[in-house]
Amino acid sequence: MTDIKKLINTLHPLERKVLPVLNSYKTLPEIVSATGLKEVEVMRALQWLENKKIVKISTELKEVVSLDKNGQKYAKNGLPERLFVNALKKRELSISRLEKLTKLSKDELNSCLGILRKKAMVLIIKNKELKVKLTDEGLKRVKKDFLEEKFLKKSFPLDIKSLEPEEQLALQNLKKRKNIVRIEMQKLKHVKLLSKGKDILAQGLGDDKIVDVLKPELLRSGEWRNKNFRRYDVSINVPKVWPGKKQTYRLFLDDVRRKFQALGFVEMAGPLVESEFWNMDALYMPQFHSARDIHDALYVKEPKRAKLDEALVKRVKASHENGFNTDSRGWNYEFDVARTHRLVLRSQGTACSARMLASDNLSIPGKYFAIARCFRKDVVDATHNADFYQVEGIVVEENLNLRHLFGLLKTFAKEFAGAEEIKLVPGYFPFTEPSVELFAKHPEMGWIELGGAGIFRPELVRPLTGKKLSVIAWGIGIDRIAMFKLGINDIRHLFSHDLEFLRNQKVVSCRQ
Amino acid sequence: MPTINISLKDLNNLVGKKISEKDLPDLLAYAKAELSGIEGDDVSVQFNDTNLPYLWCVEGLAILFKGVLGKEKGIPDIKIEKGDYKIIADRSVRSVRPFISAFVAKGGKIDEFFLKQVIQLQEKFCENFGRRREKVAIGVYPSRKISFPVYYKAVPPKSVRFVPLEFTKEMTLAEILEEHPKGKEFAWILENTKKYPLLSDSNKEILSFPPIINSHTMGKLDLEDNELFFEATGTDAEGVNLAANIFAHVLSMRGFSIHSVKISYVGKNVITPDICVEKHKLDTDKVSSLLGIELKDSEIKKLLEMARFNFKSGNVEIPCFRNDIMHSVDVIEDIGIMYGFGNVEPLPLTAYTIGGTFDLQKKVDKLRDIAVGLEYQEILSPILTSREVLVERMNLKRALDLVEIDNPMSAGFSVLRSWLLPGLMDVLMHNKHVDFPQKIFEQGLVSVRRNDTITDEERIAGISSHVGVSFTKARQAVDAILKACDVVAVYQDMEHSSFISGRVAQVVINDKPVGFVGEIHPAVLTSWGLDMPAAGFELNLSELFKIIK
Repeated sequence: MTDIKKLINTLHPLERKVLPVLNSYKTLPEIVSATGLKEVEVMRALQWLENKKIVKISTELKEVVSLDKNGQKYAKNGLPERLFVNALKKRELSISRLEKLTKLSKDELNSCLGILRKKAMVLIIKNKELKVKLTDEGLKRVKKDFLEEKFLKKSFPLDIKSLEPEEQLALQNLKKRKNIVRIEMQKLKHVKLLSKGKDILAQGLGDDKIVDVLKPELLRSGEWRNKNFRRYDVSINVPKVWPGKKQTYRLFLDDVRRKFQALGFVEMAGPLVESEFWNMDALYMPQFHSARDIHDALYVKEPKRAKLDEALVKRVKASHENGFNTDSRGWNYEFDVARTHRLVLRSQGTACSARMLASDNLSIPGKYFAIARCFRKDVVDATHNADFYQVEGIVVEENLNLRHLFGLLKTFAKEFAGAEEIKLVPGYFPFTEPSVELFAKHPEMGWIELGGAGIFRPELVRPLTGKKLSVIAWGIGIDRIAMFKLGINDIRHLFSHDLEFLRNQKVVSCRQ
Repeated sequence: MPTINISLKDLNNLVGKKISEKDLPDLLAYAKAELSGIEGDDVSVQFNDTNLPYLWCVEGLAILFKGVLGKEKGIPDIKIEKGDYKIIADRSVRSVRPFISAFVAKGGKIDEFFLKQVIQLQEKFCENFGRRREKVAIGVYPSRKISFPVYYKAVPPKSVRFVPLEFTKEMTLAEILEEHPKGKEFAWILENTKKYPLLSDSNKEILSFPPIINSHTMGKLDLEDNELFFEATGTDAEGVNLAANIFAHVLSMRGFSIHSVKISYVGKNVITPDICVEKHKLDTDKVSSLLGIELKDSEIKKLLEMARFNFKSGNVEIPCFRNDIMHSVDVIEDIGIMYGFGNVEPLPLTAYTIGGTFDLQKKVDKLRDIAVGLEYQEILSPILTSREVLVERMNLKRALDLVEIDNPMSAGFSVLRSWLLPGLMDVLMHNKHVDFPQKIFEQGLVSVRRNDTITDEERIAGISSHVGVSFTKARQAVDAILKACDVVAVYQDMEHSSFISGRVAQVVINDKPVGFVGEIHPAVLTSWGLDMPAAGFELNLSELFKIIK
């Protein structure tokens, strides 16, 4: 296919309507009236044609004259002086009579008189009453259009430069009168056919063979075989659409969930509103622990009291007070049973682990994880959220030791931070002994604190399970990695309500 | 978590070995502490363990580091001389603040640096371990001014007057609680008592009003003093003894001789500091079963001595400045720490387990996929919100089902969300100038209170906002979601003031309501500052799946 033929096939229906008239018409208003299209449609078509180097559009600044309010009225109904002479005919009439016949205003009547007298067309006779009559000159001139009338009959807007001397004169006269003409600077678009355009018109547009939309009828009839499909400009921008998409942080947590399942972990869940029992006491956190006071945990107004397994409460109470049957001396204080029933917003995901340990569904061996929504009484800022996710869990077996714990943490460092190198530092948690903090060398972020872990104290495990089990407990600080991967530096943006941000978040990125 | 400031030079002198800045983080790890800042000689240290207060001073760190670095081993030596001092504890303190411990320290040098260190340990100890002075509070006095015996009793709030530290006028105990900054800060401790504790000497000079404030005349240390009287009062006998034991070690290391004080309670006498070591029987098999490493008894002994325990014939002897040992695991952890966590070879888990998640999680995730397929953008909102957002702005008159926080940080975070649509309205409000159509959904937990029960429900809600939204389109989305669950709903006319009347339906399955769908009421749109119409739905998935079952 020749280039010209290809080009012809790209032409849009609008372009096809505009192009043929360009041989005869050059200016925008002309083209609009010749094609019968709307001005915006013509402009769009011309723009496309120009992009394809078929036409050249040039813009000229021109002084143009157009009709004002009275000018439009007079063009339609006739100039006042014409109405005046038409009413007068060959008679001699008084001004008041003329006023009735013409329905002109006083002002208009006066200006008519002035104009007609200047042209020596009327004579004023002063008698008892003022009367008017046409002169001979007047009688001659009424047979022809006045210069001004001719002028009003032209199509506006008009290029002032294109006016004949007589028209210039008429314009000068009309300009002196009220609201008849308006003179403005206007941009006038000129369109010039380029050689490609001429070639196209020489070849013919082949409108009967071109198809814009492939319709079912064309397929059914097989007619499509005889058609050319309009070629599109596939390189131009198209309007944006936004897909339905999962939230960026949840997508990340979905990956975390899948990863744990792949590692053989089963997901646990628990209620958002916990008793102090499950949230803290069952975890062997003493009731005087600083994380439990009203400055750190969020307590619930109503109801006042949680329903608990009181036999279990009794065992946990004993564990706090004297170590239960674990050879421990316990925390050695008086355990408040009323307080353990108090309701609190879950402040740590470990509450889910406590519930799992006490559950009949606990499998041994078993690996468990939770992605738990937790709440703390924190001042919310770029690094603290009052409402956040915690990822934590347990591994339960008959005989686990510190080496297994370290082995697990090494796996986590590799799986969640891509880290080959780890550092294990003694840590402190009220519910584990030994306790350790995990640092991992992330390939891009460098050394990060990835989590805390330990082996649950016997004072915790025995009252909940009734068995001598070893339970590894761990928690991973997933938010820092999430923020890094999602490219955000304010923790609150994990829960962003910024639609533009969410729409633009990548689901596939180089930061894996 | 306590943070202290120490001098590195001072630490080096006490340990007797040069510790470089580079070695500090690794050494501090033995104390479960981190280097939180260093500026020249000034080192700032943060502790993670709240049960080892003896470490919250440079002297305590030196005790531990000497063990770790092999400069000393086992329980440190301390000599307590029998003093001729007595405190008479009156019966009246029993129900107020029953316990006291004390000693006198002589012959050391008191300078500004020393004073700062003592005050720092006193503050950290009382704040963290002493539970903001309630459990233990400490006072230190120049002992030359005191005529023994000292009397410890509880008196009516207005019965005595004295000039408290940093003040010039005499005040009653009641006035101190109302006017003195320390009084205001710690008045809560004495909230429930009719009488207040008081220490005075045999000349009836008042020493202090524990746990609030010392006397300006008797309880202010000067640089020329070289004899100190130390006391700790509190509600816990072990706690006050621990305070005396730790301070006795600190002052002894600073060249003071320590002289005991006899405390005469009604019916019994106690001598403090009580430096008796506690014995803990250690089954060495448990060491290997917990740590996973095989250690000979001699190795265990060596490691325990590094951690400043003694180990004699199967018994661990615990130094008197520690009372954190509840169970063998506490001792075994210290053995592990001294062995070095870095020297413990990681071992992979071998038990075979099958991963998975719970049924509800699987189901909600599939419905999230359907919502995404309907071209909704997923949103994740905070669960903590406000009544204004959930009720008022949604044009509801009242809500009885809210879970309210008793001690909220602010009104904006004072209730748990009871439905999801208000969170989505908030998204619309924040994105008025973003491309339309806006179609958004959230799937997540809400918490609903019904009488004495709080229930979490998994829900899904969606909103679309653009010119030409309609009930029909919102219902189509609900239909599509329910179709994916293989159920067909009946839509019943309902009144819900968040929606336009006559354009809202209750979604009913098997005669049970599971949600609603409709065009958002203009009053709701206006209250969120919106001028674009919206239609939405919300379904209770927990209920839906229960019905389907």
